[in-house]
Amino acid sequence: MEITWEDGNRSTYSGEQLRWACPCAECRGEAGAPGRLARIKTLSPEELRIKDVTLVGQYALQIAFDSGHATGLYTFSYLRALGPTASQV
Amino acid sequence: MAAPSSQQVLDVLSHIQDPDLGRDVVSLGMIKELEVSPQGKVSFTFELTTPACPVRDRFKSQAQDLVGEIPGVTGVDVRMTANVRPAFMRPKPSEILPGVKQTIAVASGKGGVGKSTVAVNLAAALRRSGAEVGLLDADIYGPSIPAMTGSKQMPEQVNGRLRPIEAHGLKLMSFGHIYPGEQATIYRGPMVGKAIEAMMIQVDWGQLDYLVIDLPPGTGDASLTLAQAVPLTGVAIVCTPQDVATDIAVKALQMFRKLNVTPLGLIENMSWYICPSCGHRHEIFSHGGAEAAAKRLGVPFLGAIPLEEGIREDADSGTPVVISRPDSAGAKAFEHIASQVAARTSIQSFRQLPVINVH
Repeated sequence: MEITWEDGNRSTYSGEQLRWACPCAECRGEAGAPGRLARIKTLSPEELRIKDVTLVGQYALQIAFDSGHATGLYTFSYLRALGPTASQV
Repeated sequence: MAAPSSQQVLDVLSHIQDPDLGRDVVSLGMIKELEVSPQGKVSFTFELTTPACPVRDRFKSQAQDLVGEIPGVTGVDVRMTANVRPAFMRPKPSEILPGVKQTIAVASGKGGVGKSTVAVNLAAALRRSGAEVGLLDADIYGPSIPAMTGSKQMPEQVNGRLRPIEAHGLKLMSFGHIYPGEQATIYRGPMVGKAIEAMMIQVDWGQLDYLVIDLPPGTGDASLTLAQAVPLTGVAIVCTPQDVATDIAVKALQMFRKLNVTPLGLIENMSWYICPSCGHRHEIFSHGGAEAAAKRLGVPFLGAIPLEEGIREDADSGTPVVISRPDSAGAKAFEHIASQVAARTSIQSFRQLPVINVH
């Protein structure tokens, strides 16, 4: 996935990177309990393939993976901090 | 003397700057259908980004003067029109509000500050300027739009979709239309979200320049649903001048900032009262609180509305004050605020949003 930002900078992400960065409560854990991503070491290929990306209002992206996992809302500020940003100008 | 070339005309017109968009009107594509006759008569269409443009008249006279001064020009005919541009390019065609160009939320955080009154009059003022306007009442528990617009009929169903109620040239939809009378809507939070979504998806809003959305107080379900379901162009925050109201308005503003919804600005309601018997100006709830808060937070101050008996009377009798008494101070204040909101909204349509590509 690739994002061209308002300021012209561009960030690219792999499905694998985004899947491991999923911010949802199940993956991240909640109320002090560790989430699924802290317990497991590997994810199957279908967990890592992006199936669909939906805009949530105008603050986040909801990324759905082939496995059906789609509970993570990736805010734009989170994505910006996550991705290696290449300056376009 | 020879007639000037079209380029000469465009060159002088490019000296007109749009104060809100910060660019000249030629490069913004506002000059259309330019014709210069061999006799030196110049005619063109000046297409604004909103019919409620606050500098409409200034633009027209500036254009006439500048073009009139070109040697060889014998007459200038400027046709002023407006075409509201869609707020954002959506990543895919959306089933939510497909024909709506701009969505403007009216919120406050705190209750009882006159949100619905502002929303109704904002919608009516935009309509009076010539725009196609809808008004969605997102207050599920306390819908006030039907009473304030004198529209209490039930919506008709056509092909499984609801047709908005029409009143005062506005398209309206409220839970008060769907469940009229004194029965209460007793819903838990998630149901509120569903109800608001339904009013966007299952109502045939058609083609609109602006959809004004009257939000309930609070920073919870209703506001969240709205901010997640549609890319809102922006939100106007209403408050009264006293500290207890502005403090909560600031919370509402910060919530929308978190959700990346642009604050269009703050509106101060009940800003002053002119006593009809002594003519003295009273500032019952203090004055200037919203403007000070706007300055502190770095958002525009959109204007102040007086406390007037007429505004309340007209709301109770079902005609917005901008329609029933357009010359009153209250109506004038609403008109001013509507043009400010329209201008801030136009700025948003020129924003370059992130582009997302999935390979």
